[in-house]
Amino acid sequence: MSSPPPAPPASIPFPPPCPHLASYRSSLSRPFRHLRRCLRACPLGNGPPSIRLDPLAHPHCAACSSSSSPCPCPPRLLACLSCAQVFCPSHASSHPHHISVDLLRAELFCCSCRDQVYDRDFDSAVLRVFHDAFPITSTTAPTTRKRRRVHFHHWRPDPSHSHLIRTRSTPLPLHSISTHPCGLRGLNNMGNTCFINSVLQALLHAPPLRNFFLSDRHNRFLCATRSPPRNNKTNITTHNGDHLCLACDLDQIYSAVFSGDRTPFTPAKFLYSWWRISSDLASYEQQDAHEFFISVLDRIHDNLVEDQQNSNNNAQGDCCIAHRVFSGILRSDVTCTYCGFTSTTYDPCIDLSLDLDPTHITRHNARNGEKETKQKHNKNLSAPTTLMRCLEKFTRPERLDNEHKFYCQKCKERRESLKQMSIRKLPLVLCFHVKRFEHSTMKKTLRKIDSCLQFPFSLDMAPYLSSSVLRSRYGNRLLPAILDNGESEVGISSGASSEFEIFAVVTHSGRLDAGHYVTYLRINNSWYKCDDAWVVKVEESTVRESQAYMLFYVQKVLYYTAGDNNTIDEPT
Amino acid sequence: MSISNSNDGSLTPRSQHASNCFDDLLNSIIADVASECHRIARLGLDRSLEAEEEELRLSQPSDSTRGGAGGADGSSKHGVDIFGNSHPAVASETFECMNCGRPIVAGRFAPHLEKCMGKGRNARTKTTRSSTVTRSRHSRGSPVSVYAPYSRTPNGSTSGISEDLSDNNFEEH
Repeated sequence: MSSPPPAPPASIPFPPPCPHLASYRSSLSRPFRHLRRCLRACPLGNGPPSIRLDPLAHPHCAACSSSSSPCPCPPRLLACLSCAQVFCPSHASSHPHHISVDLLRAELFCCSCRDQVYDRDFDSAVLRVFHDAFPITSTTAPTTRKRRRVHFHHWRPDPSHSHLIRTRSTPLPLHSISTHPCGLRGLNNMGNTCFINSVLQALLHAPPLRNFFLSDRHNRFLCATRSPPRNNKTNITTHNGDHLCLACDLDQIYSAVFSGDRTPFTPAKFLYSWWRISSDLASYEQQDAHEFFISVLDRIHDNLVEDQQNSNNNAQGDCCIAHRVFSGILRSDVTCTYCGFTSTTYDPCIDLSLDLDPTHITRHNARNGEKETKQKHNKNLSAPTTLMRCLEKFTRPERLDNEHKFYCQKCKERRESLKQMSIRKLPLVLCFHVKRFEHSTMKKTLRKIDSCLQFPFSLDMAPYLSSSVLRSRYGNRLLPAILDNGESEVGISSGASSEFEIFAVVTHSGRLDAGHYVTYLRINNSWYKCDDAWVVKVEESTVRESQAYMLFYVQKVLYYTAGDNNTIDEPT
Repeated sequence: MSISNSNDGSLTPRSQHASNCFDDLLNSIIADVASECHRIARLGLDRSLEAEEEELRLSQPSDSTRGGAGGADGSSKHGVDIFGNSHPAVASETFECMNCGRPIVAGRFAPHLEKCMGKGRNARTKTTRSSTVTRSRHSRGSPVSVYAPYSRTPNGSTSGISEDLSDNNFEEH
């Protein structure tokens, strides 16, 4: 039944060389090395690398100057790699040698094929010049512990398990399961607690988290009898021996929701425990769902962290199930615009907070200048903001303004700099938080941005990974390892894939102070609206038109790696 | 494409030079973009545009007016859910409060708990939270870290605070 573990995805497939390039390569022992003397690099953002043959030379196409009908303003000047003659593309085919290089852009051009061609060693040579001229330093990239991938074994109960199942368990009512998916159950609103219900529904259906609890990985009956962990600040044992563990309460909710009972469940104990543990957030009022989400994950972490060593390893996700599922690593690069020196830091993150693209709004305003009153009714005319655009904005190089001048270690003074974010490691479940509540600078109040956000059901995060962002920064040249800092390996291999599927959308409707949260769940390709106690089936279009506030995506493919204990396989 | 300064259409040598310079720069920029796009396409780095366009097309808003708090599904609150059940506006299930032991209606559990635990902006004892525990006769709450001693007195009845804990009687201060 076991199949060989799938091979890690191939790195960017390089097109095979044209025959002319191939023969050029074979004629030299180390092709392109000699070019390094001529390659000139500029600080990032200031222009592509170029070739300079002689500091005083004025390269020009001899054929153009001597002909009676010169090519008007040739866009490129090429230099032959074999004899260094310079010419323009239209006169290239008459040249005896095949491979030339674009002087201004350091790209290879095959005169016989009349097309730009690509070579890994050439790109390597170009980038080495970059690296020598503009080094990058970084804090040590967090080491991802390499775990070998293992086959997925279906679990089969052994005889003692089978006996237990037969004698100590009750089968779920079949009728209840066959008509509607498992785990669909309304949650009662206990008084302004829709922010809790909406996030709980998303958590209940996050596959890795769901699997963890349904596989009995945190048994609430065993937890209560266990001695409290050393780090005891939140596991308060109270006056009458109450045991406070949010993971236990979550375990209870999982059991209840997947029990087959379809009457709405009241997560009262959960609320009680959460308020006991997070006293600062305990009040009878509407609260922010995203804040609640962060708070719950933090509390679960506190409850489940047993080893003091692992508690600092959030990025690895080894500390607790909350981080194992939701924690990723962000990379931040700050580049001095003056000298090109780049400083890199890594930080763990549990979700991605995205700004709603404001350029969409300003463009819209500009177009409808005078027609102020009609703007609200003309939403259909302008293109909606999309999640992809928000992500592009997130990973775009941003010029830091004057107040945030970065101290460049090379220049030894504060310089204007560019900052660029990217994702070094993707989590198993990606949670996007759409920043709909912003401070209005004019009124000094919080206001809600109502604009609709288009989001895909299938999402490929590859363009936002550090490896991709880094590569595009270097003109999409194939990065040698020295510049890559392990990004390609980490970004893709540890999560195996950058492709995600949506499974839950938490939406907010209404005003800032009087609004309502509702969660849309995608189960077996059908969408269900979970509005507190009400679970209703809805069309895709309803979900697409809703005001997404939090979006939950899960990796399409999950791989298993060997756990610390060899008998337990754990999802990466 | 030529820039003319004189009205009769002929070009001065100077404007011709300027024009040539401009064309040179423009061509160079176009070639830059072409070269980059060529590389991206050749190395297979371009994202699938068809999938994106499909997603965008699917999310084009329909002509029906959008949003309001309930939207088109607001009616579901008056109908039935997928299990064929209907639910009241305020959840009517009752259970025992794990703090004080009283039976509470689910839909009003949060406001009850807030008072019961002495939390929230209306809790009386916010001021005593950081100081040492002072318990007055009518103190209905207590500092966070101490379990509220609402448990029944040995003879089974609560002390004189019971009437203050009624849900309908919101605040006395």
